[in-house]
Amino acid sequence: MRRPLVLSAVLWAFGLALCGPAALDPAWAQRVEPPGSLPGPTFGPPPNGVPPSVPTTPVMPDLIMDLSQPRVSITSAFQGESLLLFGMFDPPGEIVVVVAGPAARETVMRKERFLGLWLNTGRQAFDDVPAYYYIAASQPLQRLLARGAGGEILSLEDRMASVRSVGQREHQDLIRFRQGLVEVKRRDGLYPAAIGQVFVQAGRLFRVELPFPSRLPEGVYEVRAYLLREGRITAAVSRPLPVGKVGFSAELAGWATQDGELYGLSAIALALLAGWFGGAVMRRV
Amino acid sequence: MEIYLPIAEQSMNVFVLLGLGGTAGLLAGMFGVGGGFLATPLLIFVGIPPAVAVASQANQVVANSVSSLQVQLRRGNVDIRMGLVLLLGGMIGSGGSVWLFTYLKRIGQIDFVIAVLYVILLSSIGVLMLYESTRTYLRRRRNPEAPRGKLHTHYLVHRLPFKLRFYKSKLYISALLPIGLGFAIGILSAILGVGGGFVLVPAMIYLLGMPTTVVIGTSNFQILFVAANVTFLQAATNSTVDVVLALLLIIGGVVGAPIGSRIAARLPGVVLRGLMAVLVLAVAAELLTELLRTPSSQYSIAGREMPL
Repeated sequence: MRRPLVLSAVLWAFGLALCGPAALDPAWAQRVEPPGSLPGPTFGPPPNGVPPSVPTTPVMPDLIMDLSQPRVSITSAFQGESLLLFGMFDPPGEIVVVVAGPAARETVMRKERFLGLWLNTGRQAFDDVPAYYYIAASQPLQRLLARGAGGEILSLEDRMASVRSVGQREHQDLIRFRQGLVEVKRRDGLYPAAIGQVFVQAGRLFRVELPFPSRLPEGVYEVRAYLLREGRITAAVSRPLPVGKVGFSAELAGWATQDGELYGLSAIALALLAGWFGGAVMRRV
Repeated sequence: MEIYLPIAEQSMNVFVLLGLGGTAGLLAGMFGVGGGFLATPLLIFVGIPPAVAVASQANQVVANSVSSLQVQLRRGNVDIRMGLVLLLGGMIGSGGSVWLFTYLKRIGQIDFVIAVLYVILLSSIGVLMLYESTRTYLRRRRNPEAPRGKLHTHYLVHRLPFKLRFYKSKLYISALLPIGLGFAIGILSAILGVGGGFVLVPAMIYLLGMPTTVVIGTSNFQILFVAANVTFLQAATNSTVDVVLALLLIIGGVVGAPIGSRIAARLPGVVLRGLMAVLVLAVAAELLTELLRTPSSQYSIAGREMPL
């Protein structure tokens, strides 16, 4: 399943490389794309205002990317998924990819020993906690960012340092709670521990696998790719990645939240029927 | 084989869930308990969120009870009158203690209260049952011809007013007693999210003095309605009933329940009670070590709220 995907992505990107000689347009060279302005790979229209009907040398942005799937569909058979992000950049440079889930307030509980029993005695809420966070780079991240600071590129540690705590707490203790939050998220696969590897081929094609666990919160995730040259971001592309239930799972979940009473009654009816007939059948066997 | 559970929002092995349901069904058939007291902690243990585990388990208990009740009704082992009186108390108790649950949840101590209540209840019931059944067993072995003695002893409680005759149970007791019992069970099921059979069965035997044969069917009768009530309330207020999860548990339970009933029909009451005592104590011991042991991780995430 995974191999044909990779293959097709590589072929696809290779096709891109052939038809576009990657002419460097000065308007594009140093431009940082605002988020969402590039919904995936773009051939045109050329950014310098030339109407697409006028034949010119095809203009390639410095950085383009696409995903093997436009969305993460949570079906009844969903067990977590690995998406392939692939793209092309204008060398030289290094690539950093950041995927972040929607931010929300999360409450962390801490067990402490009380009269010999382990109880949830401590609780601390944090605002602006990303549901999911994954960062991948074509070179060790420290080396990429150390030189001139990647600006908006945040490693998981930096990102977590910026979540806001709700209420008052002593500093050292707050750090422990924050570490606890990361620990739980890691265990659930929502903050994949290692910094991912972006593979670069032929100096300009890149790909990276994005691992999504089975227990994946719904929402619109943001996928961003950055092109770094000498520690500075020279191009960035971003696209939304919707994560949601589809088909039977979606209908059921929607029904459960919208019409809880009817859903509950149906669940009881289903249980009564299944129990009664199932019991009757089993006794015959 | 994995399946995605739309309300629990994660995938889970189908056979694990079928096995869990089967075990709960076996217990339901054997002892007339819903099996919730065993299955709910196990579901939480395999990673289902507690709120979803409790609510979906209640849905399974509905199926389990109706399946067992079918058999008990045919054998004439259900004291409907007693069941209705118990139910009256049960509905008042479970309805009234919803606010208690909400309060405990708000102060963040619901998990602890659940665990401690389980440990206290299960260990005291287990010890009581084990003591009684061992004593009866030993006495009967020592002196098999001994007369059974009185059907039950008369305490102060038997002087309460509103006396009712329960023909099936061969009892003439105050209606306040089963109503009070039902009320207490209602509170428990609202907080612990179980049918309450593991408390109800021993209480009916030792407190009300009902014959063991009628106890299981009557307890099934009451549990059916209490579990249906819990399912409905959970679905309507919290949307935490996962029917996919429940259905898998039900399928397992439907297979397990008749096997349990058959085993129960062949075993003498004393042995049955002894077995249940051992099981109850084992679960209590497990939950207690869970509370005492240094956890692998001190931290957990209580909830996620989207900004408005």
